[in-house]
Amino acid sequence: MSTKKIVSIHSFRGGTGKSNVTANLAAQAALAGKRVAVVDTDIQSPGIHVLFGLDEDKMGKTLNDFLYDRCEIGEVALSIGENIIGAPGRSKLAGVNLWLIPSSISGKEISHVLRKGYDVNRLNEGLQTLLEVLDLDYLFIDTHPGLNEETLLSVAISDVLVLLLRPDQQDLQGTAVTIDIARNLGVPNLLLGVNKALSRHNPENVKNEIEALFDAPVAGVMPLSEDLVDNGSADLFSLKEPDHAWSKALKNIAEMVLAVE
Amino acid sequence: MRIETINQLKKSFLFNGLPDETLQVLAEKISSKTLKKNEKLFEKGDVGDTLFMIDEGFLDIVTEDKQGGALVLNQCGPGETIGEMSLFDKGLRSASVVANTDAHVLALKQDAFFELLEENPETAQTLIRSISSRLRFATTYIEKAIEWSGRIAEGDYSSAMNEIQTSQSLTVGEADNEAKANQMLAAFFKMVEELQAREDELKQQIIKLNFEIDQAQRKKEFEELTSSESYTDLKSQAQKFRQQRAERAKRYANKDLEEK
Repeated sequence: MSTKKIVSIHSFRGGTGKSNVTANLAAQAALAGKRVAVVDTDIQSPGIHVLFGLDEDKMGKTLNDFLYDRCEIGEVALSIGENIIGAPGRSKLAGVNLWLIPSSISGKEISHVLRKGYDVNRLNEGLQTLLEVLDLDYLFIDTHPGLNEETLLSVAISDVLVLLLRPDQQDLQGTAVTIDIARNLGVPNLLLGVNKALSRHNPENVKNEIEALFDAPVAGVMPLSEDLVDNGSADLFSLKEPDHAWSKALKNIAEMVLAVE
Repeated sequence: MRIETINQLKKSFLFNGLPDETLQVLAEKISSKTLKKNEKLFEKGDVGDTLFMIDEGFLDIVTEDKQGGALVLNQCGPGETIGEMSLFDKGLRSASVVANTDAHVLALKQDAFFELLEENPETAQTLIRSISSRLRFATTYIEKAIEWSGRIAEGDYSSAMNEIQTSQSLTVGEADNEAKANQMLAAFFKMVEELQAREDELKQQIIKLNFEIDQAQRKKEFEELTSSESYTDLKSQAQKFRQQRAERAKRYANKDLEEK
């Protein structure tokens, strides 16, 4: 059996830091020597490319081109290891096996997707092909938040689902339903990641309470950090500040993802 | 004046056990001093050889804080005595004393006091008894304070507070002792109250984490989402995809093997 894994990073609501976590997790996996790709399936509000230093000019073909049959999926994959763009954290990725499959940020493309939707079969086909042509160990999917149908497909086909949430009432309620859906869809591995934990919350307490609440493992509790806000999307924070509490918690999640059999 | 001075002397724990004849002799050795508001009686670090008793007005016991500003430790008023121990040991003053209002104080110098002891040796015995009882009283409170501190350190606030309250009965006795002991009890009590309030606040913050899921809402949303036809389609599609992937992976692995 292949060890190739599809890892979806999802959250019930927006603003959980999903793209940031996805990009950092993928970078950590690549640094650990794995062959990794990141697919931005948040076609309605793409953003992960910024963390890898890309803007519209530097992006070639996009996932949209593939979905509407304008190219092959392999043509979209952009090697990050060979295209390091500025920033001290990102430059640590030089030479690693990491690819990005970005979504188009053109308004025209986005509105097209919103109006017409896309063929989930074709997306699935593309993901399968990517695993093979790039001989990937891990395919990370940055999803669109919520529980709409297109998002549910990424959740449904994942081998590992990382659900991100903030320790607040609304996120917890939505996460509860998302967990039920993931279990119903037969997702084999579920990990929770808590982001933006307040400094007065003891991370160990947060972990224990949320694990008890959902009967699912919490892989990391990342603090709400001014340093992280300050960094914005300028760099990959866990590479730039590896000893920061946020980075340590993120690396813990990465380790748990990589430990899934 | 003499009678007033004798009454004044009786208010001090040192002298209140002495017979009137002795107090009369002592009163003759006492001088008096008038202080203007803000005038210093003595400074911290001075050699102390005089006991003062406040006749009129108020005096502040003052030390310096870390920034060098004046920090008032206590205020004394009519009837209160300052610097009893300087009659015995000529130790350095541990704080400065400044008049808070215009004041009139009585002063007894160590030399004059020693003269009295030479003239009336039996006075020494009475004084030793007074000092010893004062020492015993202080020791009792130090022991109590150690015990309370232990309970506070263990977070057993309610029993610490109970004991502090019941310890008030210990203070019944001499007015001066009672006032000082009550001051200490009040300070301890306030400390425990504040500690407990702070701890309760912290606990509150942790309790806030005690999230609850509205299970009925959770069930309702789950049912809504999963009851649609498109969900059923998606679920079977996903299963199909998984299966395909497993098969493709197998083929891929076999092909890989054959190539090798």
